[in-house]
Amino acid sequence: MFKVTTEPLSIDEAYAAVRKDGCGAVALFIGTVRDHHDGKKVTRISYSAFKEMAEKEFAAIAKEAEARWKTGAMYISHRTGALAIGDASVVIAVSSPHRAEAFEACRYAIETLKKMAPIWKEEFYDTGKAWISG
Amino acid sequence: MKIAVQLFGPLAEQAGRSRLDVTVTGATVGDVVAATGLKLDRSVRFALGTDYVDASTPVREGDVVSLIPPVGGG
Repeated sequence: MFKVTTEPLSIDEAYAAVRKDGCGAVALFIGTVRDHHDGKKVTRISYSAFKEMAEKEFAAIAKEAEARWKTGAMYISHRTGALAIGDASVVIAVSSPHRAEAFEACRYAIETLKKMAPIWKEEFYDTGKAWISG
Repeated sequence: MKIAVQLFGPLAEQAGRSRLDVTVTGATVGDVVAATGLKLDRSVRFALGTDYVDASTPVREGDVVSLIPPVGGG
């Protein structure tokens, strides 16, 4: 399952989407909103996205991971809109028969998402705001 | 021909809008981008529909071109 949503992200949904009887490992990555950036106090974050393209990029990431590591299934969801400190902004889950492939595929997914997915982050501080990339 | 251009993130903020309609005589994504009159950094990527493309990609009437400034998901 691949989605960009304004709703809070569900870890249970991620786990249920990838768990398989033939897979002995599920790796899970959760990105959360941090309360500081470059010495500044972050008060909140806003994400926006080109939803259709981002979801297509997520599917492409999963397809590449399957080709490289023979993963069982992958789940990627990213939240948009206003997020508070501690909120989950991205959830990635991936299953595979053995743990090494699950970890590698999960790392590949988040690193590729950060470079390729058309999603934008605006950080708000007590002293202003900034667009954050990379 | 008329082409719709979508703007996102900081580009939409700078332009004060998220969509422009341009009329172009040329036939590539680069021609469409030039017709917007926007001054774009080299870091801005382009999409045609939902695929990343380069500036030399041909466009057709009704296409949607998106300007993708540096992304920050995760």
